[in-house]
Amino acid sequence: MYLSKRKLTPEFVKKAAVASTVFLAVAFSVLFIAFWSIQIVNNDKYKQLAIRNIMRTVELPAPRGLVVDRSGAVIAENKINFTLYLVRENVVDMEKTLARASFFSGKPVGQVRTLIDKYRQHAQFYRIPLKKNLPQGTVIFIQSRQDEFPEFEIGMEPSRTCPQAELASHVLGHLSEVSEEELAEQPSGSYRMGDAVGRSGVEKQYEPFLKGAKGSLTVIKNSVEQVQEISGEIKPQIGDTVVLTIDLRLQKYIEELMEGQSGAVGVVDLETGGILAQVSRPAFDPEVFAKEMERQEWLAISNDPRKPLQDKFLQGIYSPGSVFKIVMALAGLQESVITPETTVHCSGSQVFYDRVFHCWNPGGHGTMDLFSALENSCNIYFYNLGRKLDIDTIARYARLLGLGELSGIDLPNESSGLVPSSAWKLGTFNQRWFPGETISVAIGHGSLNVTPAQLLKLIATVALRGRMPRLHVLQRIERQGRTVREFAPEFTRVPIARENFERVVEGLFRVVNGEGTGRAARVEELDICGKTGTSQIIAKENPQYKRLTQEKRFMPHSWFVSFAPRNAPRLAVVVLIENGGDAGAIAAPMAGRIYRNYFGK
Amino acid sequence: MRDIVRFFDKFTFALLLLLALAGILLIYSAGHSTQETNYLKQAAWLAVSLAGFLAVFSMKLDFIFRKSFSVYVLLLVILALQLVVGHTVARTKSWFRLWGIGFQFSEFVKVPLALFLARLLARHKEIDGWAFMKVMAVILAPVALIVLQPDMGVSFILCSFIPLVILLKKVRPALLVIAFLLFALGGFAAWHSLLKPYQKERIISFLNPAQYKDSTGYHIIQSRIAIGSGGLSGKGYRKGSQSRYQFLPARHTDFIISVVGEELGFVAIGTLFFVFFLVFYRQLRFNFENDEEFYYVYLFNGLIFFQFLVNVAMAIGFFPVLGVSLPFVSYGGSSLLSFFIGEAIIFRVKISNYLA
Repeated sequence: MYLSKRKLTPEFVKKAAVASTVFLAVAFSVLFIAFWSIQIVNNDKYKQLAIRNIMRTVELPAPRGLVVDRSGAVIAENKINFTLYLVRENVVDMEKTLARASFFSGKPVGQVRTLIDKYRQHAQFYRIPLKKNLPQGTVIFIQSRQDEFPEFEIGMEPSRTCPQAELASHVLGHLSEVSEEELAEQPSGSYRMGDAVGRSGVEKQYEPFLKGAKGSLTVIKNSVEQVQEISGEIKPQIGDTVVLTIDLRLQKYIEELMEGQSGAVGVVDLETGGILAQVSRPAFDPEVFAKEMERQEWLAISNDPRKPLQDKFLQGIYSPGSVFKIVMALAGLQESVITPETTVHCSGSQVFYDRVFHCWNPGGHGTMDLFSALENSCNIYFYNLGRKLDIDTIARYARLLGLGELSGIDLPNESSGLVPSSAWKLGTFNQRWFPGETISVAIGHGSLNVTPAQLLKLIATVALRGRMPRLHVLQRIERQGRTVREFAPEFTRVPIARENFERVVEGLFRVVNGEGTGRAARVEELDICGKTGTSQIIAKENPQYKRLTQEKRFMPHSWFVSFAPRNAPRLAVVVLIENGGDAGAIAAPMAGRIYRNYFGK
Repeated sequence: MRDIVRFFDKFTFALLLLLALAGILLIYSAGHSTQETNYLKQAAWLAVSLAGFLAVFSMKLDFIFRKSFSVYVLLLVILALQLVVGHTVARTKSWFRLWGIGFQFSEFVKVPLALFLARLLARHKEIDGWAFMKVMAVILAPVALIVLQPDMGVSFILCSFIPLVILLKKVRPALLVIAFLLFALGGFAAWHSLLKPYQKERIISFLNPAQYKDSTGYHIIQSRIAIGSGGLSGKGYRKGSQSRYQFLPARHTDFIISVVGEELGFVAIGTLFFVFFLVFYRQLRFNFENDEEFYYVYLFNGLIFFQFLVNVAMAIGFFPVLGVSLPFVSYGGSSLLSFFIGEAIIFRVKISNYLA
């Protein structure tokens, strides 16, 4: 049988053995090197990829710190809020998901798509916040059918709430979501898209303290996203408690007084410079911003001609009117161009530089000295004083007393107002200053612009006879019951002689307690000193002045700045009523009620 | 009998047993997190395989070679029948259930085909046109039937006999050119008519796994991560995150080497390679009395080596994911039994040389 015949030579068999051994050796060496390269050389890379497969870290947002008044009454706190999240890696059918997301969030599909698109740079497992403040019904609906909607997650997160709604809303300020631009500027910052950031007021000023520290939860998940175990948890830390100098009781009283008015009130504690109340009307509800606002809602607030978003105390700029006579008096005395005995005769009008300037009293005040000029707010006296002082001297004193620059209060977005000078006019209009303009400035008109905060600081400085306080709303910051920052009262000395302040104070005392313009502010057994101011919206020279000022919107703004008591003063108050008309009739009595309320009289 | 015990290659047999036992432990680890009991089934199959080994080992070689043709034909018939009545498991009809046990008959083709091919090669001094056609037909008949099931893995592995034949026998260059052209044509036709989209994707995806990371490329990526993250000594038995948290696909079958790499590290991979190398080395180098035996030993060892190479290359993304298991180690009873039977014949050949 041929089967037993050997056709293969031993040489062939040997060749086959050698060839196969060589082949095996080469093949195994290649495999060995390949695995070496993957397992040893690139070990770190694959280790990280393996960890990335299973580890999922979810950020736990921190509750914002509380904002409380001086006695601990809560101005802003947190509530639990449900947020709807989308996780793209669990999406089966994007179109279906978009339809569902639109249904759950109440947003149109296009808007949801745009929102999701913003997160294209993020990992597929990133939780995209689709809707905050999810209604309870929707939460229950989604959670009970979680297996049908694997791509959606419900998060429980703290959100800002103000138990007293609009109370102290301007001091507190508002929050809004961090923008894409801000995130782009700080790629490594601690903010994530969807986070709320303070935009105004205390919320903005003390954002670093209020925001707290985020926590995280790291879980191990399997390939189908089921949580296997929790591998690490960092608890979020609530933000610090910000204790304000605000006296919420007084704040509330003043807000009620201001109901229906447009304007601002500021009350400062003269011992510390701490703001006790700060009101701007009309107001807004900060919680409106915590929600997702409808476009129309936003337009209604931002286009309101009464500017509810503007904090008029810090940002509103107005002519100081006769309140500026305080600055003029101090400048005149300090520059020795007048003495308390200097007199001027007021006949109701006087010609300066070929132009007729009027006193507010057409009949004239007769012979006026410094005290009676302040008491009656006589324009003619101060026109004459203005002529004796040049504009740059006036500007210097105005600046010394805190006008034309930020008041330095610990709140953002403050306006600096404007103190005109010859240099300013040359720089801005390329024109020389005309002496006639100085006459208008002398009674607080012309280009002069101030904020209520600046006038509060001014009157506080007068009250303290030249010790200028630094205004502030922060009392202290507490972290877990421990004070981490405390505001130490700061006073600076204004280089004006104390006796000159005493003289001005005498005049201001007579404004309220004599036959002056501010007598409506008088409170028994409380020596209130003050000064009215009327800030014209349209010039008196306007031929239609009489007719136009019948209309509310053209009525002048009313000022009343004051402090009490005269000696050892404790409180200073600024009241501004927009289009309030006669200051003595509206702003002064309001200040009187504030003192009465505060001192319990 | 005493001579049989004396000349039996106990060392190589121990290596094979080691591979199979390691396989059971690895299958246990791979299925641990999902509480699967495949390792018990595999242990039972190992017992069956050892019985099969003993049965075949005790047969006369002459008888084995003579019956190879009949067994080969019988299997072709069964494979054809399967196409009609076979169970569809994971889109293929390769499984045949008998008495509640799943048989994958395509696996059983390997041994009789190698035997019958060895006979054909021994009969021809040189491969002329007619002989070449016969050889091709013998190989491609079962390949075609298995492709239709479709089981790409086994059919591809059976095709490894073609280059082996060419290496072992002198074949006229003209025939090689013709064969090459026919294959190119056949491949082209298969690509455009026979292969299903998921099969095509499997083949292409290994070229750029990242592009197919949501489908087949995912397997390659996850397998590489598993192996790469194991490092030198691995993450520990049953502690591989890729395997435990089910990122690794087919971890008890086709990607079992990835479990080795992840949990036991490069040290174990190196050891495994060395064991396989020793098996091939020892099963190829001995004196052959008979041409048929020589061809069989080379063809069958070549087949195992080819399957080993494809499986390992696939796990690190050097080869398309065709569904090829690791010989002796991967889960799969039919495959284990088939390999032990094939090895039994090699052991028998070895011993017959001493006993002759």
